[in-house]
Amino acid sequence: MDDDYYYSQSSNDEDAGDDDDDDGYDDLFDDPPCDEDSSTNSFEYTVITEKSLLTMQMEDLQKIIEFLSLSESSARILLIHNRWDVTRILELFDRKGKEQLFLEAGLVLDDNNNNNNNNDSSFSALSQITCNVCFDDFSKDEFSIMSCGHYYCNNCWTEHFIVKINNGASRRISCITPKCNAICDEAIVRKLVAKKCPDVVCRFDRFLLESYVEDNNKVKWCPSTPHCGNAICVEDDHPCCEVECSCGLLFCFNCLSEAHSPCSCKMWELWSQKCKDESENINWIMVNTKPCPKCRKNVVKNGGCNHVRCICGQCFCWLCGNATGVGHTYDTIDGHSCGRYDDDKIKHIERAKRDLYRYTHYHNRYESHAKSLKEEINLYETIEELINDSKSEDTHFKSFRWALDGLNQLKRARGVLSYSYPFAFYMFGRELFIDDMRPEESLMKKNLFEDQQQQLECQVENLSMHLGKTFHLLSDKELSETSQHVTNLSSIVNRLCKEMYKCIENDLLLPFRKNHSIAPYMSNALRKKR
Amino acid sequence: MLDVSRVQKELAECNKDKAISGVSINLHRGDDLSHLEGTISGPVGTPYEGGTFRIDVRLPSGYPFEPPKMQFVTKVWHPNISSQNGAICLDILKDQWSPALTLKTALLSLQALLSAPEPDDPQDAVVAQQYLRNHPTFVATAQYWTEAFAKRTSVGIEEKVQKLVEMGFPEALVKSTLDSVNGDENMALEKLCSS
Repeated sequence: MDDDYYYSQSSNDEDAGDDDDDDGYDDLFDDPPCDEDSSTNSFEYTVITEKSLLTMQMEDLQKIIEFLSLSESSARILLIHNRWDVTRILELFDRKGKEQLFLEAGLVLDDNNNNNNNNDSSFSALSQITCNVCFDDFSKDEFSIMSCGHYYCNNCWTEHFIVKINNGASRRISCITPKCNAICDEAIVRKLVAKKCPDVVCRFDRFLLESYVEDNNKVKWCPSTPHCGNAICVEDDHPCCEVECSCGLLFCFNCLSEAHSPCSCKMWELWSQKCKDESENINWIMVNTKPCPKCRKNVVKNGGCNHVRCICGQCFCWLCGNATGVGHTYDTIDGHSCGRYDDDKIKHIERAKRDLYRYTHYHNRYESHAKSLKEEINLYETIEELINDSKSEDTHFKSFRWALDGLNQLKRARGVLSYSYPFAFYMFGRELFIDDMRPEESLMKKNLFEDQQQQLECQVENLSMHLGKTFHLLSDKELSETSQHVTNLSSIVNRLCKEMYKCIENDLLLPFRKNHSIAPYMSNALRKKR
Repeated sequence: MLDVSRVQKELAECNKDKAISGVSINLHRGDDLSHLEGTISGPVGTPYEGGTFRIDVRLPSGYPFEPPKMQFVTKVWHPNISSQNGAICLDILKDQWSPALTLKTALLSLQALLSAPEPDDPQDAVVAQQYLRNHPTFVATAQYWTEAFAKRTSVGIEEKVQKLVEMGFPEALVKSTLDSVNGDENMALEKLCSS
C-alpha cells in the first residue's frame, strides 16, 4: 500500500518508521537520539489519498453497520449527520436512545415500518394514483415510496434528486414532502437518476465519498496548489497541530496556512496580512535590503553569517545595520551586541515611525532566518549524496548520519527561530495583549523571552556553521571533531527549543490559551519527503 | 423545462376559491406561463386590512423543483419585505421550498407573513427597528402605505386611464404604462411624454 502513509509523531517515539514507503529513506530519517523529558504532546495523523479515501470511509461505515445493524445507506446518513464521529454516535445512542438519534439524523426507525405498511397498504390498494407534485395520474408501479412513507411518481423524484445534486446538496437529499426531514435512500436516488442522467450519478457518488472530508472535523483537504488530491486525518480533535502531507506540504491543521508555530493562528493571520500590506513596492526594499552605513547602497544578504561586508569595504551587522569592525566569529561580532529590542533608544521618534521601525526589526529577523533556512535546505542534497557514497563498514563520523540528524534539527530550530519573531512582535506589542499585561510585566517577560531566543539563535548559527563546512576537504580528525560538534550542538539546540516553548506555553501564552493555542514543539525534525 | 401542465392546473385550482382564500393568480401578460402575477388581500385585523397586494411571480425553468421567485409590486411597509424593491424574506421561497408546495400555498404563506411579521429575521432593517422600538408608528405607517398604495390601483384606475386617453395617448399604451408605474398618474404621464 504505497498510497497509505502513516505518520506517527511524538517527542519520545523511538522510531516513527511505520511508513510503508519502501524507498530506503526510512532509515535515514530516524529521530535524533535525544529527549529526556516528554513534556511536549504527541499526536498522530494519517494522509488520506484518493484511493484510501474509500477504505477509510468504509471502516467507519462498517463499525456503524455492525453496531446498529443498519444498511450502508442508513449508516452513511447517520455518520454524515454526526460529522463522521463514530464515538459520538455511540455516545448519543447510550444517552438519547436510538429513536432520538435516528430522528435527528433524518432516519426512519424500523418500528415505524408498521405505520409505513399501513400507508403501504392504502397505497397498494389503489390502482391509479395522483402524484402530488405534477398532479398527473399514474399506475402505482411508476411510484417510489420512501422510508418515511411518502410517495411521488418516479419522474418527480428523479427531477427532485437531480436539482438537489446539482445544487451541491447530495449529502442530505430530504423527502419532497414539506417539513419531512427524512433523508432519501441513496440506492433509490442512484437507481432513478441513473436512468436519466448517468453523469449526475457519478457526481452524487463523488459528493458522498468526499463527505468524509467535507463533513468531518478530523479530516481536512491538503491546501496545496495545484491540489495534490490528499486529505489529512488527525486522530483526536487537536486545537492546533502541524501536519505534513505526503506531497511535501507542511501546514497548520487548524488554519490551513503554512506551519507557523510558535505563532498562534491569530498572530500568523495578522502577520501575513501585515507583511503583504507593508512589503509592497518601496517597503519591499526596506525590509529585504539594508543600506550600507557608509555608502548607503542597498545591500542584500546572499548567505553566510550576519557580519556583512559591502562592496565599498564597510562591514556592518546584518541584524541592526550598524557599522562594525572586521573582527568577528560566526555568531558574534567583536564589540557589538544588538539582538535586544531597546525601547528607550527610540522614545523620541514619533509613534508611526516607531511602529514601522519595530515591525522592520522583527520582520528582518524573521526574514533572515527564513532565508537561511532556504539555503540550508539545499544542504540535504550534499549530505544525502555523502550518505549514499558511504559504506556500511565506515566509522560513525564517516557514515554522515550525524550530519543528516544535525540538519533535521537545524531545519526545525531555524523554523522555530524564524516564527518566534512574529510571535514576539505580537506578544509584546500593542496589537493583541496591550490591555492584558502591565507594561512592566510585558517588559519583564520580553527580556525573559529574548534571552532564550538569543541563546537559541547563537547555537543555531553555530550548528549552521558546522554543517555548512565542505566536508570532503576536511581531514579525518577534523571530520570527527565536526561530527561531535554537530551532535552536541543538535542536542543543545533541541533543548533550547524546548525551553523556549516551555517559556512560551507556560509563562507567556497560558492566560490566552483559548484564543492563542500553538502547535507543540516536535523535537524530531519533520521528515523530508520526496 | 417548466412543467406547463402543472402550472395550468395550479392556476385553475388556485382561482377556484379565491373569494374565500383571498389569494389569486393570473398570467402577467400574454400566454407566458413563466411570468405570473399573484394578488393577496390584506389580512383582517392587521394594518394591511382592506388592501390588495400585487406580487410579481416568475417561475424558473426548474419549477416546481426550484422555488418560484416572488416580489411585491405593491409597496408595503413590513419588516420582512423591502420597502425599496419589494423583495421578500421567507424561508419557503428559499431553502425550505418543496416541490409539493404550490403557488397558492406560497401566496397563502405570504398572507400569513403579513399578519405575523418576523422582525428578528428582517429584510428591511429600518422597518424592523421601527416595529420593535416604536410599534404605534409602525402600525400607522403600514396603514398609511396600505391606504396610499394598496387601495389606489384598484379604485379610480379607470378614471386615470380616461384622463390620460383624453390627453391624446393611445388607450393600450396608457394601461400598460400605468401598470408599470404601479398606478401612479404623474409618473405615468412623465413616462408617456418621454417615450
